[in-house]
Order: sequence, then structure tokens, then C-alpha cells
Amino acid sequence: MAKISINLLPPEIITKELKKANFYKIQFIGITVILIMVFLASLTVALRILQSRSITEVQAKISETQKQVTDLKDTQAALFLLKDRLTLIDQYLGVSSNQSLMYRLIDKFLPAGVVINGISINKTGEVTLTALVPDSSSLDNFIEALTTKDNNEGKISMVGIESLNRGRDGFYRVSLKIKPE
Amino acid sequence: MTKEDLIKFYSIHKAQIFPVIVALSSLFLIIFVIYPQTARLISNQNALGDLNRRSEFLETKVVALESYDEGELSNRVGLILTTLPTDKDFGNVLGLLQQLTVQSGFSANSISFSNSASKIAKLRNFEVKLDIRGSKASLQTLLDNLENSPRLVRINSIDALSRGDTETIESILGVDALYSELPKDFGGIDSPLPELSEKDNELISKLEQLKQAAFEQGGQTALVPSTSSSSAVESPRGKSNPFE
Repeated sequence: MAKISINLLPPEIITKELKKANFYKIQFIGITVILIMVFLASLTVALRILQSRSITEVQAKISETQKQVTDLKDTQAALFLLKDRLTLIDQYLGVSSNQSLMYRLIDKFLPAGVVINGISINKTGEVTLTALVPDSSSLDNFIEALTTKDNNEGKISMVGIESLNRGRDGFYRVSLKIKPE
Repeated sequence: MTKEDLIKFYSIHKAQIFPVIVALSSLFLIIFVIYPQTARLISNQNALGDLNRRSEFLETKVVALESYDEGELSNRVGLILTTLPTDKDFGNVLGLLQQLTVQSGFSANSISFSNSASKIAKLRNFEVKLDIRGSKASLQTLLDNLENSPRLVRINSIDALSRGDTETIESILGVDALYSELPKDFGGIDSPLPELSEKDNELISKLEQLKQAAFEQGGQTALVPSTSSSSAVESPRGKSNPFE
């Protein structure tokens, strides 16, 4: 037997009840939203407080370490000085000057019979040399050795004969001017 | 408008008023609390990261500084300041040149100092004229000894004359004695420490050997600081009784 359902409530009460039910839903959602917002606000404030505490701790630690570094400033200064000086010393210690290199080159290629009477190497590395040469081939060999790129390591740009005399003894007296590269 | 009117107004429009109040409250919390705090939180997080890195760097620096032996460091500084002093240091240059001249088989006629100073790159220098006499064959040795001396010098001019006997020469060497003022910057608290490389340590060892060799060959005259008490103690005292 089928059931018969009869709603005897007046229609305005039904509408009122529906409105009430809707409002409860809105109220529930609204309160939930407010609670979430309050929770988020509290969370961010709490995190900020914790973070500030961490920052203060790290700053205190840094201050303490800075004091330690300040106490060791003499050691630091010594290290800076050491490094600075070593860099400078490394550039010059055992490194030959142009003058020394020119002397070494000339000494290296000087033929056996040639006698240097005088040699002058000025601050620009220019060499003036007077020598006693037993024969012309020795002079040729000497000049050739000095002017050959492979021999002079690219250090000599020009060899000029300033004067050349031949004495009664058969020896040549030569004055050379050697210009560095 | 009375309280009853307000209540009546609210009860009629509560379905609209309540969501508006909730939205306004949420907006207020977002604008005045959540957003500023979150923004500060993010920026402070970056600052905290920087502070942590700085703290770690400083701690590492302290450990590195404490690992150096102060005595050894002081000796090394003394050594490099002997090699490249902060001032002209005429005394040591004179002693060294005398010693190297004799050691290379030459005799010094005169050693003259120029008071004027000039600059070679970052270094300052003053000129010393070395008037010497000796064997021609030894000049190269003298040049090598000068350029590898434990006090930085550079040869700037060479004048040599052979007199009669071809083996003996008279020479005037122009030598630049180098020195350099102390650096102005020794690094601040946050400056990274300079590291001594293998090459630096080798250079220090080389300088130590050169100094030791100079000391052994030249006695106390060369490269001993004038304030050292050892030279005073070891200097000749003469007879204990001059009337005997």
C-alpha cells in the first residue's frame, strides 16, 4: 500500500526554513574562512618571532667571531704583507735585467781570439763595445752570431759598426753599437 | 536609528551582511597582517641566509688564522722584509754588495749611493754605483750573484774596461736597490685571507737558502738587522789586556 505524504505547513514557513538553512551554511563557511585567516595570521607572526630570534642569535655569534678576527689582526696583517711582498719578489728575484742579458749574449758569442777592451751597457740596454779582433773572419762570425735571430733570442735589433781600424800589428780595432729589441 | 531597528535590519539582510563582514575581516587580516608578515619573513629569510654565510666565513677565517704559527709567520715576514725592505736600508745593501763582490773574486774600489729614489713598476729604487776590479771571467758570476742575492737588486748599467792585462777589468756597475713601502690595506674583518700557494712556499724556501748561504759565506756583516744583538756579541773584542 502506497504511503501518502501530506505537508500541512504553510508555504511562508517553508520559505523561512529554507532561508534559515542557507544562512547556516553561509555562517559556517564564513566562520571557517575567518578561522583560517586568523590561523594564517598567527602562523606568520609566530614564524617572524622565531626568525627574529634566530637572526639575533646569528648576529651575536658574528659579533663574537668578529672579535676573534680582530684579536688575530696581526696574523692577518702578516699574511697580507707576506703575500704582497712575495708577489713583488717573485717578479724580480733571479730574473735577469736587459743589461745582464745583453752582457751574457755578447760573452756567449765572443770568438776565442777576440779581446774586449771596453764594454758599456747603458740603462736602455744599448751596448757600446770596443774590441781587438785578430782577423776579419772572427769579426764576421761575431757580428753574424749576434744578428742571427736564433742566437740572439730576439733580444738584439741592430748591430752597427761605429769604427773599424786595422793596426800595423794586423789586428782590427772595432767599435760596435748594439741596440736591444 | 535605534538598536531594535539595527537588529531588525540585520535579521532581514543577514544573508548578505554576514558574508560582507567575513570578506572585509579577511581582507583586513590579509592586508595588515598576513601579507606584510609573509613579505618580511621572505626578506628576512634571505638576510638570515647571508648572516649564516658570513658567520660560517668568519669562523673558517678564525680557524685558518689560528692555524698559523705566529713565530714562523714572524720569521717569514722578517725574511721577506730583508729581501724587500720598506726603506732604503743602506747598511744592508752596502754589506751585501761588499760580500758579493769579494765572493765573486772582485775587489771594490768604491761603492757610492745615490740619494734620489725612482720607481720600477710598483717598487721604489735607489742607484748604487759599484766601482770594482777583478777577473773578466768572474764578471758573469758577479752579475748572477747580484741577481740572485737575498736582497733584491737589479743591474741597470755595466761599464767595463780592460787594462793592459786582458784578464783584469775595471768595471762600474749601476745597481738598482729595490724597496717598497708597506701596503696600505691589510684587509678588513670580512676580507678573505690570502692563501700561500706552493709557489709562494717554494719562494720562501729559496729566500731562506739564499739568506743562509749569504750568512755562512759573509759572516755577520751582510743581511743582519742592525738591531740584532748577535753581531754585537760576536764582534771582535781585541786583547783582554792591551799592555801584555
